[in-house]
Amino acid sequence: MLHIANKSFSSRLLLGSGKFASPGLMQQAIQASGCQLVTLALKRLQLDQPQDDLLSPMRQMNIQLLPNTSGAKTAKEAIFAAQLARDALQTNWLKLEIHPDPRYLMPDPIETLLAAEQLVKLGFVVLPYCSADPVLCKRLEQAGCAAVMPLGAAIGSNQGLQTRAMLEIIIEQATVPVIIDAGLGAPSHAAAAMELGASAVLVNTAIAASQYPVAMAGAFAQAVNAGRMAYNAGLATAQPHATASSPLTDFLAAL
Amino acid sequence: MHIMLNDTPLQLATNCTVAELVQQQQLKTEGLAVAIDNVVIAKQHWGKHQVQNNAQVQLFQIVTGG
Repeated sequence: MLHIANKSFSSRLLLGSGKFASPGLMQQAIQASGCQLVTLALKRLQLDQPQDDLLSPMRQMNIQLLPNTSGAKTAKEAIFAAQLARDALQTNWLKLEIHPDPRYLMPDPIETLLAAEQLVKLGFVVLPYCSADPVLCKRLEQAGCAAVMPLGAAIGSNQGLQTRAMLEIIIEQATVPVIIDAGLGAPSHAAAAMELGASAVLVNTAIAASQYPVAMAGAFAQAVNAGRMAYNAGLATAQPHATASSPLTDFLAAL
Repeated sequence: MHIMLNDTPLQLATNCTVAELVQQQQLKTEGLAVAIDNVVIAKQHWGKHQVQNNAQVQLFQIVTGG
């Protein structure tokens, strides 16, 4: 079980709800993935457009909704967005993300830490999206964050675990769940993250932008489970030389 | 009374609360959040919070996102 704050989840796959071709397809993918934590975003209402009925079906799926602060460029903006999200969804759970640079969407570590400290004091369950920086992750943990969400690669890049060495340190040191977020482009990336000992992974683009998102959601679910099982089983140690799996006796020497 | 609603000028015939404004605009309240002059107005206060003349009212809604 994955334990975050006061809740437990049987699935270690978190799903982002963006980029799906339709709300119906997103709901099917959520069901196929078995995930129990789904991220949402916030935007200014377009008065000349009808409101989406996004939430009613999601409320029936018994999932924890996790609003994010995407679009915030500073701690001040993120705190404002967090308060809006809390009121809109009536939840104090929050995926904190602050990325001022639109090209690479790298999280701002200083603003993220500042915002996290304030949001924890305001009673939020804070899950910060952050750089794969072991020092920063420790500081976020010490600030009271319920988990840390270091990136594997840039958001939506599908490049996999580019930060692998740093993730290993973060996982080794963490006393809160480590959720690898961003950049996981294939189920094998998710499995690799789980084999490292990540508590969970968050995937969006790789599922939503695939040709068959529902099938891909199922594939990621299996990969996450396989990776976790492998981690629990204990991976064999990599060796610099061959080690025989069969006996190397001289029974053919007489030929 | 004159207000700005998501940067659009709006004339209101009478004073109203946030709840009445939301109702007048025929908005679904689930997934909706309101801020006035950059201060979030919690849903439990919508029924009592009076919208003031020249208020900058901002409406936000939950959407899909990763």
